[in-house]
Amino acid sequence: MKKLLGIGLLLALVGLGVGYFMYNKPHQNMEKAEADVSLQASELFSAFESDEGSANEKYLDKVIQVTGTVKEVSTDEEGNVSLTLDSGNGLFGVICQLDNLAEHERTDFQPGEQVTLKGKCTGMLMDVVLVRCVVV
Amino acid sequence: MQKKVVILVFAALVVGSALNAQKYFTREGKVSFFSDAPVEKIEAHNSKATAVVDAESGRMEFAVLIKAFQFEKALMQEHFNENYMESDKYPKALFKGEVTNMDAIDLQKDGEYKAGVKGSLTIHGVTKEVEAPGKFVVKDGNITASSSFTVMVADYDIEIPAVVRDNIAKEVRIDIEAGLQELKKGS
Repeated sequence: MKKLLGIGLLLALVGLGVGYFMYNKPHQNMEKAEADVSLQASELFSAFESDEGSANEKYLDKVIQVTGTVKEVSTDEEGNVSLTLDSGNGLFGVICQLDNLAEHERTDFQPGEQVTLKGKCTGMLMDVVLVRCVVV
Repeated sequence: MQKKVVILVFAALVVGSALNAQKYFTREGKVSFFSDAPVEKIEAHNSKATAVVDAESGRMEFAVLIKAFQFEKALMQEHFNENYMESDKYPKALFKGEVTNMDAIDLQKDGEYKAGVKGSLTIHGVTKEVEAPGKFVVKDGNITASSSFTVMVADYDIEIPAVVRDNIAKEVRIDIEAGLQELKKGS
């Protein structure tokens, strides 16, 4: 009887521990994340532009490595840096918001520069948006 | 000759209306939401919302990607996307509507303007008519639009399991802030 109680208590403790660990599960480490797919900014954009539904199925939530030319750099008041990569479309591009949980070697990107980043694809509004990006 | 005149008049009209119909937009609008339940407070932030406001008609559109919301805890973010918002199926939330008192607002002039906003809000594939108070602040030519309102989770067919009923509020507050820029023709 006592033994049973002991086992029960142990199980409860393990359960609590696992629960606590799950609750505090860290965000995916983007620096170590393996890219699911690697492509040009223009390819990614045209995939969304031509068929958003199937592009969503293919790319949503995936870690995507994207290469392109920086068109615009912006920093918001909280210091989050976003790069807009040229997509070949005059108005819209691929926006890459740098990961605010990661350390970045540099954030002083210049328009015209060629970059390769990986980040999580969240879909398309006017631009295709990647969040939590890190430089590859 | 007559044809030329027609073309000229037409061109003048097009240019004229293009000058009048001033549009403002952003692709870096901030949307945050707050759930304040007995057991825990949850908040998430998104700084990649797009918004377009037509200064003449007051028509506006606001869109946000669900997966771009960042939570403090990875698990919350996972549950939010997979269980509640089903963001694979419904990747966007969308507002389409108008500023009801655009006549009283002059975005070219510095000042603080109270605004009423009315329209349809689509979340989780469900569209509802909503009304919310908002504000335009124009300072040194910079325009900031903001609004804060609440939505009932149940209105958008989002089911919260009984186990976490005390962890997630039934009414969620949504804060919006967007710095707007002039949308230049042909840029």
